[in-house]
Amino acid sequence: MEWVIDTHGLSKSFKRVEALKSLNLRVQKNSIFGFLGPNGAGKTTTIKLLLDLIRPTAGSASVFGMDTVKDSVAIRARIGYLPQEPHYYEYMSARQILNFTAHFFFKGPQAEIDQRVAETLDLVGLEDKADRPIKGFSGGERQRLGIAQAQVNYPDLLILDEPAASLDPMGRRDVLEVMDRLRKYTTIFYCTHILDDVQRVSDTVAILNHGELVAFGPIEELLAGGEGVAYEVKLKGQTDSVHQLVGSQPWVTGIQSKSTNGLTSWTVSVSNPEAAENELFRLLAADQQVIVTHYHVKEYELEDVFLRIVEGGQHGH
Amino acid sequence: MVTKERDATGNSLMKLVTGEGWRRGLDNLLRGELEHWFGTRTWWTQILIWALSVNLIYLMTSLSARDDPNFESIMIFNLFLGLAGPIGTCIVMQMAVVGETRAGTAAWILSKPVSRPAFILSKLIGNAIGLAVTMVLAQGVIAYLITVLVLGVALPVPGFLAGLGVQMANIFFYMTMTLMFGAIFDHPAPVIGIPMAFLFVQQFLVSLAPALAKILPWSLVMPLNNSTELPISTALMLGEPVSSYLPLYGTLALSALFVVIALWVFQRQEL
Repeated sequence: MEWVIDTHGLSKSFKRVEALKSLNLRVQKNSIFGFLGPNGAGKTTTIKLLLDLIRPTAGSASVFGMDTVKDSVAIRARIGYLPQEPHYYEYMSARQILNFTAHFFFKGPQAEIDQRVAETLDLVGLEDKADRPIKGFSGGERQRLGIAQAQVNYPDLLILDEPAASLDPMGRRDVLEVMDRLRKYTTIFYCTHILDDVQRVSDTVAILNHGELVAFGPIEELLAGGEGVAYEVKLKGQTDSVHQLVGSQPWVTGIQSKSTNGLTSWTVSVSNPEAAENELFRLLAADQQVIVTHYHVKEYELEDVFLRIVEGGQHGH
Repeated sequence: MVTKERDATGNSLMKLVTGEGWRRGLDNLLRGELEHWFGTRTWWTQILIWALSVNLIYLMTSLSARDDPNFESIMIFNLFLGLAGPIGTCIVMQMAVVGETRAGTAAWILSKPVSRPAFILSKLIGNAIGLAVTMVLAQGVIAYLITVLVLGVALPVPGFLAGLGVQMANIFFYMTMTLMFGAIFDHPAPVIGIPMAFLFVQQFLVSLAPALAKILPWSLVMPLNNSTELPISTALMLGEPVSSYLPLYGTLALSALFVVIALWVFQRQEL
């Protein structure tokens, strides 16, 4: 497995406040890694540590196998970074900003650099505003410019701090599309509060709370959740005997039941998903006193998982 | 938005910038600084501001003294540039580091492959060139023309340029001091306040401890109390002998020290 980011006990304190507590994190190459957490959880602190904008109090981190403190310039040569609140030189136009940024990475014929800048402006849909001073840019335009300047060097790792913030729904959709298409060229490590976006594009997720990593893993595993697999079932008829029968199965860990308008809804939690897949429906269908009107595996939303973990203080990794 | 297919290193004719030393990013940053000074209206507004602050007074003094031209006229130019120059320098330079740190542009720049010394040195060199051209050279040319056209005196050009060089050393001292405090403090008030306070307190310091006059920039551009000696810049412009260059060396040495401290502090600063 090739790790682009690898941290070991990475910690940061500001005076007496522990902003990040012994973070152990691995980000796989070409993944879209969603880094979640409430405000003040330590997400931006982690990004700043990776970029060597601040120094760790303890522990270490490596990016592309290089130490973030000793080899920071070499690391930054392969990174594109969009800050949470991007600030640029206001007297420059978008084209000048990208040209200026490109010259940190490339030398060579100016025409070639101009071509790269034009491609990047096109990528974010700013070509018609390219020569306007950015002083008059809206929040969304600034965010697009931020993505463009992070992408102008075709980085091996894109670090995006709230990339879809201040974008309208169409802009948000475009950003997610761009991220999805860039996946084959680059690894994307991004922080966001928009959990729908994470669920749409991320393959791996980490949740940080009060500076601690509280959940970390592939998004499918996280969505399956600590609650395990559950089935949602709706039954019509006399359910007492089938309830007893299902409840007695060794792979059933619990049945939550409620009845409305003659319809009984169950949430059946199981410990062995394979056994449940093979047997549960058969048991229900075999009972002559009930009719199964709905039957499916319960799908968790990332928001449910996030709130449960963050509000419940659960450690899921 | 349109996404285009591309390879990771991009265009074949472009080459990647390599190297990880202290100079990494300096050329580009310096180009950016000079673009700000000379590619926008900054250069002519600065020339205009300093012409009105320094040379307008020199012109009026010269007009009133044209029947009896003497060294006092050119000393007026040196005095006003020696006072207004550092004030303007502190205002310009306080934005260079602390302004960018607070605005977030420093963090943006340093997320690119740029060394921290390169960031500080680009601010120093870029602003030194900008101030040298707009505040010293341009004002010197205007002052020389006033001297020739109004007073009818043609001062020796090499000496006049040497005097302007001393003025630049004085300005450079305040540049580096403001730069240093910009790296130390994260609020603009002490960054601009301490060098400005020093500018005015200095005359009392050299009165209380005359030995300090040998290392501080005051006597480069200002006459010392109870002394008949001309300030170094005035003496050079008039072709008069200079009693000692020690204040010039002391000023340059202190400036170098401020730069070293700024580099050391900024290397450790959290952004």
